[in-house]
Amino acid sequence: MSYIVPIGPYHPALEEPVHARLYTDGEQITDAEVFIGYNHRGIEKLAQQKNFIQTVTLVERVCGICSHSHALGYAMALENIAGMNVPKRGQYIRVIMNELERLHSHFLWLGIALHLVGHDSLFMHTWNEREVIMDMLEEISGNRVNYGMVTIGGSRRDIDDDKRRKILEMLDKVEKSMVRLRDILLSDKTVALRTQGVGVLTTEDSIRIGAVGPHARASNVPVDVRKDSPYCCYEDFEFEKAVYPTCDVFSRVVIRVLENFESIKIIRQALEMLPTGPINLGTKIPKIPAGEYMVRHEAPRGQLCYKVVTDGSEFNKRVSIHVPTFKTAPTIPTMLRGNSVADAGLIVASIDPCFSCMDR
Amino acid sequence: MQEYKKIAITKDEIVPLAKKMRENRIALAMIHGFINDEGKPNISYEYEVGNGIESYTVDGEDTLPTISDIYDLGAEWAEREIVELMEVTFEGLDTSKRLFMPDNMLDGQGQIIVTPMDELIDRAHGKKGE
Repeated sequence: MSYIVPIGPYHPALEEPVHARLYTDGEQITDAEVFIGYNHRGIEKLAQQKNFIQTVTLVERVCGICSHSHALGYAMALENIAGMNVPKRGQYIRVIMNELERLHSHFLWLGIALHLVGHDSLFMHTWNEREVIMDMLEEISGNRVNYGMVTIGGSRRDIDDDKRRKILEMLDKVEKSMVRLRDILLSDKTVALRTQGVGVLTTEDSIRIGAVGPHARASNVPVDVRKDSPYCCYEDFEFEKAVYPTCDVFSRVVIRVLENFESIKIIRQALEMLPTGPINLGTKIPKIPAGEYMVRHEAPRGQLCYKVVTDGSEFNKRVSIHVPTFKTAPTIPTMLRGNSVADAGLIVASIDPCFSCMDR
Repeated sequence: MQEYKKIAITKDEIVPLAKKMRENRIALAMIHGFINDEGKPNISYEYEVGNGIESYTVDGEDTLPTISDIYDLGAEWAEREIVELMEVTFEGLDTSKRLFMPDNMLDGQGQIIVTPMDELIDRAHGKKGE
């Protein structure tokens, strides 16, 4: 018997609104469609009415998980238009925030994945670790979600020696937990049974569709903006592009674990080599000449693009945001085909979707 | 520092350029749609070339050829988004189904409905739209 099974836009297996329509033959999915746009907020249009400083605050609210990435992408585009040289200390602080954000985002996704596979004790353990990072972000910035750490021309808040020591201590603890978590994830039967061979996206399909970020790297495609097109002094740090060859949901789990170790490595280097000097070029509304620029940033979910057009006034002429989920969500039908309906929620979640970003 | 280069092209150059880029394994970062000062579309194709972006821009055309047969869903979703948000047609693009909200919602129109703020305030005060 053939059925059409609707999932969402509001469904217990989905954290945010999206609608997937599954075409099934009995329990098996034969095809699928994805519909987005349930919560589109028109932020790009709204940005045209805001000055540059207001827009940093606005775009930071595109997403609750990778808020720093959005503010950074926008600021980098303006800095390039104006030809600003951001002080190195400011750049390093941006890198530290980027990687702390990646850590808590990956822990968040790991927890959701573990919850969906039915391993709730490990889900709680994972989110417990995430909480430690959130507390540290709060200690650094005063905020748990929208950190307000980015300003055009640098960072808004410094990391002093006391905070530096606390971050390093926190990283030691998190790394120890990560080792334990890695060992459990790689050997646990429940995780293996629910994720291995499920939701496969082959390397060829990933390249064909144009997937980005950890989702592409889990299909053995070595793309990472931090290495391919460095920014914010990423070229100063030694780290590996994590790739894994099995191309299934398990591969996506492994990639997040491996990337967490790389993020810890980057943060340690940034803290140890933190240059002296100013953290920004001042916090007043900067003078930005007419121009346009597009920048790419490796956000936790993959390549985030910001294109900004200015006309010499203190307002944006155009702001265009393209988010990683817009590049990874088109892979969902390919991954769903041939799998069972019971795995659909997990497979959709395996791209680490952010519909808040996509409905910007 | 990431480089950015803007290059103006005509709509006849879109497909040959996309084919050349695809053959050279160059990724399509995104397709942007803006409205220019004359109220006409300004569509740019952003390719990841080397350390930066080459932005190929077509200005003032409201009908363009699709490159979804070359860059597959990576281009198709971007083109469908532009079609549904702006008055632009991509020849050859399958628009039989919507991307933003399915076709069986909102009386088949499927358009994103934005209720103006003044109307919301009026409704809250019981003035109209009961």
